Amino acid sequence: MPGPVRTNGMSSAAAAMQMLERKQQVLANNLANASTRGFKAETAFARLMDNQLAKTDTALDLTAGSLTETHNSLDLAVEGHGFFVTQTPNGERFVRNGSFRLDAERQLVDERGNPVLGEEGPFVLPAGTVEIGNDGTVKVNGRVLQRLRLERVADGAQLLHEGGTQFVPDASRQAIPPAERTVRQGFVEESNVNTMSAMTDMLAVLHRYGAAQKALSTIDAARGTSVNDLAKPV
Amino acid sequence: MDPALRAAATGMMAQQTRTEIIANNLANVNTPGFKRSRAHFEDLLYQTVQDQAILGQDATNTTAAIQVGRGTRLSGVQRMHEQGPLEQTNRNLDVAIEGDGFFQIQLPNGETAYTRDGSFQISDQGQLVTSAGYGLQPPIQIPIDAAELSISSTGIVSVRRGNDIEPTELGRIEIVRFANPSGLMSLGQNLLAPTAASGQPVVGFPNDEGMGHLQQGSLEGSNVEIVTEMVEMIAAMRAYEINSKAIKTADEMGQIANNITR
Repeated sequence: MPGPVRTNGMSSAAAAMQMLERKQQVLANNLANASTRGFKAETAFARLMDNQLAKTDTALDLTAGSLTETHNSLDLAVEGHGFFVTQTPNGERFVRNGSFRLDAERQLVDERGNPVLGEEGPFVLPAGTVEIGNDGTVKVNGRVLQRLRLERVADGAQLLHEGGTQFVPDASRQAIPPAERTVRQGFVEESNVNTMSAMTDMLAVLHRYGAAQKALSTIDAARGTSVNDLAKPV
Repeated sequence: MDPALRAAATGMMAQQTRTEIIANNLANVNTPGFKRSRAHFEDLLYQTVQDQAILGQDATNTTAAIQVGRGTRLSGVQRMHEQGPLEQTNRNLDVAIEGDGFFQIQLPNGETAYTRDGSFQISDQGQLVTSAGYGLQPPIQIPIDAAELSISSTGIVSVRRGNDIEPTELGRIEIVRFANPSGLMSLGQNLLAPTAASGQPVVGFPNDEGMGHLQQGSLEGSNVEIVTEMVEMIAAMRAYEINSKAIKTADEMGQIANNITR
């Protein structure tokens, strides 16, 4: 293990300021997405590693957003853990935003036009009344087509955020057994951003940023004294 | 420019668009057959500041990737096709659809448009037309000596002619259904046009399988609920405000940083 890095106060204060700037960027992105369906907030926190300087870490906050009823038969929401799986040009992606629709070939696609995957692949829906059960079984006019794929990741697994409320699954992904699923038809999941706590976090960032700057200026003043005043002839 | 400033600015623009859509909904609170819309947003691409890293030699101490997002953008506007309330007008040419379905309207350019607004009139040619004067498809011709026009829940239009006791059937109103009515495009004047997203129309008679039934003497009101829109408007205003606070905070941080050297 490398030994602890010796740090001086000035670089510590500068690192703290950089960390807080990053945190403010994360908060601004969360607030900008306060009304993005299926959005999951990022949390930013400082991490002190081996007595080195403070660094920013981000983590995905996977708590559920509130559900809004839309009465649209192709709007789906997952209650509890779990993601829908879509096929994108970059591979399979996870989404919580279940505002699905049909494309020109009557294929079930997400908001970005990527096919939503069932256990046997993408769906083509015939005309008729669409009914989607708790376990994600898709029926049209009472005839079962196939079941939607619903997957989850292990606790503590880190998902990567991609734009368009998509997440890159990690190696711990696994299908959710049908008995443990709760898919709600006619509902969508809202953003899980808590604007109140983001507001207080932002105030805290601002005040700590000011404090770190004061620390930096104070150390600078002390150095100024030792450089300029100590050597002065009496 | 500070990425926090830019992200917050995209948030303000998103809330402004949301307010524009709410304003249009509220303006159409008394428009028959109007369906409210809702804005959809999505987050922009993320910048991966630092990839996943292994810290210790034993590979047990790893850090997750650090990602910072860059804001939001409008991804779509969705029309919500829930049933509007049926308002009784007792006018025999007012027809509401209760359930799924749209009337077919012939546009002057020959194309067919679709509407839920069933406030029909009789044209100078004796045809059943919309309030804008576009003919209902298939056309229904009403003779000059017609009285007591009645439209059944299954769409059969009948009248009593002259001194007849038995009513005469004039025709039957056909309605259509779409796989994804939210994908229809608004043309204004309460008219909708099919798109690739809505799918092709499925023609049928009212009250047939999956189709709604007709109700004469009623109009379907707008499905805009003032209270819901007001709540949305308050939420949009607060979200706008809080994004402006994010801009202010980022700006003040910039000022503090500028004060390091005086």
